[in-house]
Amino acid sequence: MKLSRLTTEELAAVVGDELERRGLTAVLTGGACVMVYAEGKYVSHDLDFVVTPSDRLGEVEDALAGLGFRAEGRMFVHPEIEMAVDVGNIPPVSVGREILQPPAPRVVSGRKLRMLSPTDCVKDRLAAFYFWHDRQALEQALLVCLAQPVNIREVGRWSRAEGMEERYREFQRELGRRRRS
Amino acid sequence: MTNRRSLERSAILGPLFGSALREWILLSLLTMEESYPRELAQETGYTLRAVQKQLAGLEEGGVVFSRLRGRTRLYSLNPRYVFRRELEALLRRALDAMPVEERERFYTPRLRPRKPGKPLRT
Repeated sequence: MKLSRLTTEELAAVVGDELERRGLTAVLTGGACVMVYAEGKYVSHDLDFVVTPSDRLGEVEDALAGLGFRAEGRMFVHPEIEMAVDVGNIPPVSVGREILQPPAPRVVSGRKLRMLSPTDCVKDRLAAFYFWHDRQALEQALLVCLAQPVNIREVGRWSRAEGMEERYREFQRELGRRRRS
Repeated sequence: MTNRRSLERSAILGPLFGSALREWILLSLLTMEESYPRELAQETGYTLRAVQKQLAGLEEGGVVFSRLRGRTRLYSLNPRYVFRRELEALLRRALDAMPVEERERFYTPRLRPRKPGKPLRT
């Protein structure tokens, strides 16, 4: 299998499926979810996985070595691809204060991949915008909203629970503007 | 400045966090909102390396986050940390449980405004 020929989603599925085969639960989070959902309008260079149970991370190295990755700090790199894999994210999978159950796997080219739903992906990006004032993360949240069905009411509920009503309104205004243009 | 021995003696959450230094760092970041490794090392009497190691572990776990300001890496409690509110509540309880004079050490402004060139007296 030539990893360099795979799409981001397929590559993530190869990695996720390999980890799941070993009895680990691997959830794709972060910018790679945006890359998948925004349909090419955003480029990420990392596949961020949250892997549980975290006391078996040693097995991850074996699994990824089998796919041709080698450890470089907390990242795993591959000689044929630019995308690096990061499995150093500490569980649980969460968005702000909210803890998420691992999503059910979807099947991508015959392989299992767990990843944040579009709605949770938007919350994840908005958390970076709300708490770290990261405008690029706001842009990513908007890209996902424009390309995927997102439960905006749920995003609003979550934003209020995080105490971010004002920033949520800013996001809503920007989303409305983009949808009109 | 706090010396290392008194810091270890006064640690309330040390057994929970596994380290008196880690407790001091978290309490300092709660009360000061942000700090940098050299300042924390000076305050505690621990080595810069020991402080950096603790901060690296906390950042790896998402408990703190850092950003560069000029050439200084500033650390804060991570507002995106999933247990942030619970952690802050625990740290505040620990502060409340301290004798007043110990608690005040955490509220003494270290980065107070100072005219350029004017020597800093502690």
